[in-house]
Amino acid sequence: MGKKKMRRQTEDGALSITSMMDMMTIILVFLLKSYSTDDVSVAPSKDLQVPVSTAEKAPKLAVNVVVSQREIVVDGEEVLTLDRVQNDQGLEVTAVPAEEKRGQLISALYDRLLEKAETAKDLAMRTGSEEFEFKGEILLQCDKRLPFSVIREVMFTAGQAQFGNFRFIVIKGAG
Amino acid sequence: MAKKKRDEVSTELDLVPIMNMVTILIPFLLLSVQFVSLAVIDSTLPAIGKPTEPSAEDKEKLNLSVAITDKGYTVLGASGVLGNPEGEGATVPCLRDGCPGVEAYDTKKLTETLGRIKDEFSEEENVILVPESNVSYEVLIATMDASREDPDTKVTIGARKDVPRPLFPFVVIAGGVQ
Repeated sequence: MGKKKMRRQTEDGALSITSMMDMMTIILVFLLKSYSTDDVSVAPSKDLQVPVSTAEKAPKLAVNVVVSQREIVVDGEEVLTLDRVQNDQGLEVTAVPAEEKRGQLISALYDRLLEKAETAKDLAMRTGSEEFEFKGEILLQCDKRLPFSVIREVMFTAGQAQFGNFRFIVIKGAG
Repeated sequence: MAKKKRDEVSTELDLVPIMNMVTILIPFLLLSVQFVSLAVIDSTLPAIGKPTEPSAEDKEKLNLSVAITDKGYTVLGASGVLGNPEGEGATVPCLRDGCPGVEAYDTKKLTETLGRIKDEFSEEENVILVPESNVSYEVLIATMDASREDPDTKVTIGARKDVPRPLFPFVVIAGGVQ
């Protein structure tokens, strides 16, 4: 009896989408709110796993260097392909190919960063504003499995190319 | 009679176009939403960092440094190895032999050790990290976290209450052991 009555009711009106609209509107607002407009973005992949940290400082835009397990990328342009070598403990680790280095300096990365530094300085001189002043800031996105030797070489090269303020990109986590 | 029916129809709001738009917008926003939030850790090169002019009233500098090796952490000050009376091996040894991963490093104990040093040298804010070549980047970041602040001790700084006690927030990474 009850069943019959319910059926007649649904047949009467059209499909009620008001409640669904409510839900959709809430989801829409939520997504718009969490829509990220950060200056910096990472694209995590198999070769680039950014470590988690308890740091809270917000990233600012600067020259962006990505060091993954496979390559070094500066501002979206590939500079160098990295090698996999055996270290003295017999483990396979990532390393900068020997022919790309002059001592600790990574030549290709150095040239590219020097170019970036010159451009930044030129911009600072032309605008004369404090906002564009060259402070030697560099954002480093590194894979968490990289050995320190690679990081050191990248840092040394950046330092030689007048980038002395390192900002290591990390994922904000509970720690 | 016929007129009344037409009135009824016109009061019904046509939601279908809005629904279309919303169903397109939601997948689009879902794709572009970033669920990870990023942060940065600042560090400067030792050589390029601001030179501090030595002044007459300069107190005894601590020059705190933490060496990260495959045995654990060794905490060094200007006067030698700190926090380890025997002076042998690592100050904060790894939880497991050979330090296989980031979990093996005893960051909790390092934070405690550095906390005790901070008690003694409350002005000091710099720490120099000296990692070995084989130490992974993840361990380096974990060490920076451990030396920056102590999450288990809450203090009040100015208007902010219950913030983790800051230890040595200025991290400098040194060349490391070759």
